[in-house]
Amino acid sequence: MNLLDGYGMDTITMAGTLEAKLAAMKGAGFSQVMLMARDLVTHPGGVKSAVEAVRQSGMRPTGFQVLRDFEGLSGHLHSYKLDIAKSMLEMCAATGSKVLLACSSTSRHATQDLDQIAADLKKLAMLAVPLGIKVAYEALSWGRTVNEFPASWDVVCRADCPNLGIGLDSFHIFAAKTSLDAIEELDPSKIFLVQLSDFMWQETPTFEERMTTARTFRVFPGEGVHSEQLADLVLRLDRIGYRGDYSFEVFNDDYQQLPLDTVAERARKSATWLHQDVLHKSAPLPEWTRQRA
Amino acid sequence: MTLTKVNREAVPEMPNRLGIAGIEFIEYATSRPQALGQVLENMGFRPVARHRSREVTLYRQGTMNLVVNANPDDARVSGTVDGQPVISAVAFRVQDALKAHNRCMELGAWSVGSHAQAMELHIPAIHGPGGSRFYFVDRWQEFSIYDIDFKPIPTVDPNPPALAGMSYFGVVQYIGAARSADWQTYFEHMFDFTSIPDEERFGILPKGKLMKSPCGTFLWQLVEPDVWMEGDDSPECLQRIGFGVPDVAEAVIALKARGVEFVESTRLHPEDRGALTRAALGSVAFELVHK
Repeated sequence: MNLLDGYGMDTITMAGTLEAKLAAMKGAGFSQVMLMARDLVTHPGGVKSAVEAVRQSGMRPTGFQVLRDFEGLSGHLHSYKLDIAKSMLEMCAATGSKVLLACSSTSRHATQDLDQIAADLKKLAMLAVPLGIKVAYEALSWGRTVNEFPASWDVVCRADCPNLGIGLDSFHIFAAKTSLDAIEELDPSKIFLVQLSDFMWQETPTFEERMTTARTFRVFPGEGVHSEQLADLVLRLDRIGYRGDYSFEVFNDDYQQLPLDTVAERARKSATWLHQDVLHKSAPLPEWTRQRA
Repeated sequence: MTLTKVNREAVPEMPNRLGIAGIEFIEYATSRPQALGQVLENMGFRPVARHRSREVTLYRQGTMNLVVNANPDDARVSGTVDGQPVISAVAFRVQDALKAHNRCMELGAWSVGSHAQAMELHIPAIHGPGGSRFYFVDRWQEFSIYDIDFKPIPTVDPNPPALAGMSYFGVVQYIGAARSADWQTYFEHMFDFTSIPDEERFGILPKGKLMKSPCGTFLWQLVEPDVWMEGDDSPECLQRIGFGVPDVAEAVIALKARGVEFVESTRLHPEDRGALTRAALGSVAFELVHK
């Protein structure tokens, strides 16, 4: 039992090789990692070597990201995306990840019919069943049709499929200024992933600003100007009974040029803040207290 | 005044959009076909035909077709460990195999490529749990699919009678922890199976979730690991076949006389509602269920 067990970093936060990232995370005390498809395909030894590196590290994959612009397409675009989805699912399964993150579509070629969107996501979830994977559908704050979590929850309810749930990302919730009251409407067992990050701007009114900030200037929870809201979000999730993982989805150009251990240490501080100061969970007792006489 | 009359006992028809009409065959993959053949013969099956191009043998008794696939590629793909046979496929009889396959693809199934040789049947298939497959066969009324791909074994009765009236009753599938709902939804969505309430049980191992085929001719049982088996992360698989028999006690006597051993346990009540054979070759067990 480790204080950081429920928290994990995303590989996207740091520069360097997959092995170096995993070592830095482990060194800071983390036991899980959110993997990105790029980690596998850009590995010098190929996908197999990357999978082996994850296995060797002993880190549990929080999930696998990210399938983009999947839903709402028709004809050849749908067939094309289906192939992409299958490859993503296969890589996800290869790493032992139980959750595939699918982000809401930004495509102008996609339908805005919520029932069709739900049907496509159900198809994705069915593809995931034999592989033992759950699909977490996340509302991107610049998604064309679905851009707030109440909408992604609506779609997930329409699809009514046990292995299709939602993924929450604090950045998108704050960027879109979505009311946190809607958290009460969620079924905690259908929240398959919670990604946390903070950022430095108070306002991100346009989709363009949201995209730029999301991709270059997120910070760890507690480091930005939305810490109070973030604490509120986490407390509300805890109150409705969410006991799943929290993963730090921090895209930051500065962190990409810092030593990996330095970044991982910031993540550790952030997790400790969430665990002790926000959630008021006790630190685990030292190991010797659990040893039998 | 006209009296409206509503049929109070109208039963909603169960959808069967694939036109499933039973199990055409079940396939085992193994690198030890002779050893498995012996086990099957003890159970009353007879080898009746051999595949024209691959190391595959067709066994039969009564209405049951059982295929033993020892083709090196298939035996390997099916993950046979130490030669332990695995149930590698279940073939469903359907109205139209191509339509059934297309519909499943539309709903999110994984297609399986065919390796049929010239003049052989291409049987469409999708991936099932673990390395297994579900085949769709539509030509089971006009003629036998086995006449095309298989050569009959000379001097053998091509239609041996069923021992003790055995017929396919169901398949038991082992699944991962907390995966029942996922698989139930999968089978409901793909094949129009329906879940049977937990109170209704058949056989002697009343565990897991039970589903019924839309044609009503066979059952599908999903078994998760028990809570105390937390570390059990063995792959999901089709674990065993259930045979329906008119008289379990009689079937047990007949099979025991042929050397088949049964699991005797105070937790089971063989010769009552059902019986379970001891696993042969490490993995091959059969269940008898009163039909």
